[in-house]
Amino acid sequence: MSYQVTIGIEIHCELKTKTKMFSAAPTSFGAKANTKTSVIDLAHPGVLPCVNKEAVRLAIKACGGLHCTIDPLVKFDRKNYYYSDLPKGFQITQQFHPIGRDGYVVIKTDEGEKQVRIERIHMEEDTAKQFHKDTGTYIDFNRAGTPLIEIVSRPDMHSAQEAAAYVEALRRTLFYLNVSDVKMEEGSMRCDVNISLSDDPNRLGTKVEIKNLNSIANVQKAVQAEIERQSALLDAGEPIVQSTRRFDEPTKTTVLMRKKEGNVDYKYFPEPNIFPIQLDEQWIESILNHLEELPEQRLERFMTTFGLNEYDASVLVNDRDMADFFEEVMKDAKDAKKAANWVIGDLSAWLNKNNKTFANNPSDAKDIARLVNLIEEGTISGKQAKEVFEEVMNGKKPDDVIKEKGMQQVSDDSTLIAMINEVLDANPQSIEDYKNGKNRAVGFLMGQLMKASKGQANPKKANGLLVEELKKR
Amino acid sequence: MKSLLTPKQSVEKITALQPVLNAAITIVEQPEENTNEGVLANVPVVLKDNVSTKGIRTTASSRILENYVPVYDATIVKKMKEQGAVMVAKASMDELGMGGTNRNALIGPAHNPWNPAHITGGSSGGSAALIAAGTTPLAIGTDTGDSIRKPAAYCGVIGVKPTYGRISRYGIVPYCSSLDTVGYFTTNIQDAAQALEVLAGRDDHDMTSSNLPVEHYLENLNGNLEGKKIAVFKTIVDRIIDPTLAKRFEQLVAQLKEQGAIVTEVEMDTKLLEMIAPVYKTISNAEATANHSNLDGLRFGMREDGASVDEVMTASRTAGFSSYVRARFLIGSYSLFEENQDRMFRKAQKIRRLIVESYAKLFEDADIVLAPAAVDTAPLIDESADLRFGQDRFENEHMQLANFSGYPSLTMPLCLAENGLPLGINITAKPFAEQTLFDAAYGLEQIIDWKEEPACLIK
Repeated sequence: MSYQVTIGIEIHCELKTKTKMFSAAPTSFGAKANTKTSVIDLAHPGVLPCVNKEAVRLAIKACGGLHCTIDPLVKFDRKNYYYSDLPKGFQITQQFHPIGRDGYVVIKTDEGEKQVRIERIHMEEDTAKQFHKDTGTYIDFNRAGTPLIEIVSRPDMHSAQEAAAYVEALRRTLFYLNVSDVKMEEGSMRCDVNISLSDDPNRLGTKVEIKNLNSIANVQKAVQAEIERQSALLDAGEPIVQSTRRFDEPTKTTVLMRKKEGNVDYKYFPEPNIFPIQLDEQWIESILNHLEELPEQRLERFMTTFGLNEYDASVLVNDRDMADFFEEVMKDAKDAKKAANWVIGDLSAWLNKNNKTFANNPSDAKDIARLVNLIEEGTISGKQAKEVFEEVMNGKKPDDVIKEKGMQQVSDDSTLIAMINEVLDANPQSIEDYKNGKNRAVGFLMGQLMKASKGQANPKKANGLLVEELKKR
Repeated sequence: MKSLLTPKQSVEKITALQPVLNAAITIVEQPEENTNEGVLANVPVVLKDNVSTKGIRTTASSRILENYVPVYDATIVKKMKEQGAVMVAKASMDELGMGGTNRNALIGPAHNPWNPAHITGGSSGGSAALIAAGTTPLAIGTDTGDSIRKPAAYCGVIGVKPTYGRISRYGIVPYCSSLDTVGYFTTNIQDAAQALEVLAGRDDHDMTSSNLPVEHYLENLNGNLEGKKIAVFKTIVDRIIDPTLAKRFEQLVAQLKEQGAIVTEVEMDTKLLEMIAPVYKTISNAEATANHSNLDGLRFGMREDGASVDEVMTASRTAGFSSYVRARFLIGSYSLFEENQDRMFRKAQKIRRLIVESYAKLFEDADIVLAPAAVDTAPLIDESADLRFGQDRFENEHMQLANFSGYPSLTMPLCLAENGLPLGINITAKPFAEQTLFDAAYGLEQIIDWKEEPACLIK
């Protein structure tokens, strides 16, 4: 039996600030444990929080990019609970007055485009990181106090594919806006999925939460696995237990972490050490007016300006660094489709093979553009271009490679005709065949010509000239 | 500011008085030399033990911080050091500022310099006692619900609580953030005016600190009371218990009129005043329970063993706080539970606003509101107790109005009672009108002409 699936997603995103949410300590990933902290992050007695303006600016950008209504009166609240990764014994968050409300993001799946509504975006601080070992629990406070935004969706998704598309769309948008690194594998973007199944479309089923999904692929796999698990239970007439689960990669199933017994009372109340901050409307305006181009805008532009098809455009746009590089190439390249093919195809493959990404791509966009133009002009063949490309990736200039290898394609008519006639003279049988209507003789003769020219004959041109010369015989 | 004693002499005197007063939790036996020139050059200063001092143990009078040595100085400590001050002692206080008697202190009760059988009042009792005993010209305290001004009255010294936000709270072990105010004790109004110039000002570490410029309080000090609009807080005056105080207060009002002050009487609805204590306790306990959640035995302070991190936290907090403080945490936590918050914590905040609105009306036609600080002298240590809900009397709690509203407020000695203990008056001004407050106090100081000395100084 198939059930109505309802999915809501909460995403925590570390903001790309130099310092922490409420202290001047530096933010950093992967630094030596407990070297990026301050008395404020460690909650020494008597310290007070001081709001990081840059974090507020980035949160406003996120709100803008996700079409949220911004509350210009910034307020913070305390969320009280005891845990060893929470130095103050409370987290400063925005429970009652989130900075952004009622936004949306557009997702694309096989079923087409759709809006997923965003309920709220609020600012808060990250906790410390814990390591449980045989010898005890170790705490690294470097992460404590890192600025976060939490983005809470409405329960608008109904399949694993939609869930993955939503996370992907958010990730892309936040990356384009330079709001966050959005590295799921490093934890700078963390994803909790709430999912329920019901046989009655008017009633939600029991909610199960899947925590800490560390890649978009795993979002899709985990949701799919959970839908299957819950469907099987419902089919068997068994109840769904409200619980928190995690995704187990090796078995591709979700595993119970803990049952939820009632809601935890976090005793939220307004943070008394931060008075409400009235943001300057002009400041908000200027931030929103200077937002980076959003991925959907860029996609549109790639299609209209460069005439790319939607598939190529979206492959490029999905990776901002790739799209940036493509734009650099297009400053000099004449054929957008060819340029896109090279960037998406050979260059991507090369980077992959060499464990690199477009963020640390060693090639110069000018060289790739030159390569594309050389093919377009017929100076080198596509096959030669591949050879040139390998050398370009080793730091050489395309023109130098061509010279060194004597690759210059022969496109000159008189030279080609002379070469063709030599080939024809040596192959009278083929001329005979051609006259008898065996067109495949042309192919044979072209092969002979390429062989004789050591591959330097411009094949397109040579083919035309060959037919003309044949007809003259 | 002049000190009769060098820092070293001050340390010696505090040490000598310790068996009598028990007013210092930590005495800085080797005070740090300070070569800075400034208005506090070589002036010894006492700090309440909730002021963070780099390298000097700061316990906030709680067992859980008994071994805690901060790695940073509170903003006010930096400011005073810049002006040449030398820190000589960390004064006793009620545990974490929770209390009004200074009985619930890490080292046992502080004793009143006028008669050691009596309390100093709290929670800044140690600072009040050490100032009264003449050990330093300046002692820092904090005032959440009259915690400077009540002990000042009981110990016969000047106690100043400036406007909320006037002095940075960065580095003060908190009690209740929305009420906590840093203040101080002095023995004369000129010192009080000068001290604020040093301590006040915007601090980027404290977002609630004010950007308003710090005034030249001492230079502008003007004790002329002619034309000063002084409102006598009749609702409190009517409740005076001590007969000497009643008489002397009446006389003082007459003297004010003689000086040309425009004296009026103001009153407040006693129904609202009855709410001061429950509102105060609800708000302060709620904020305190969150504020002290950082004291978990994990990163600093006392740690008890346990099989898990949870157990370590529970054991440390159970052993680290007195039962009195634990009870306050429970009450505070209870009032914050989702099902209780509307009828307790949020309601208390609403009533706080009503009280403040009503209190502000007293200032509509007055520069200063004048009242007795306490309606009686300091109780005996054995007979005093911090009261439970419902047992409070508003005449004892009225100075908390200045905490609810944030208004600047000051207590100064008026007379000695029959029992030889001091009695004081309290004056309050509008927000950030500290100059007006000091001016009135300066005029009053000249009228009152206080020359008494506490018992512990009489050889």
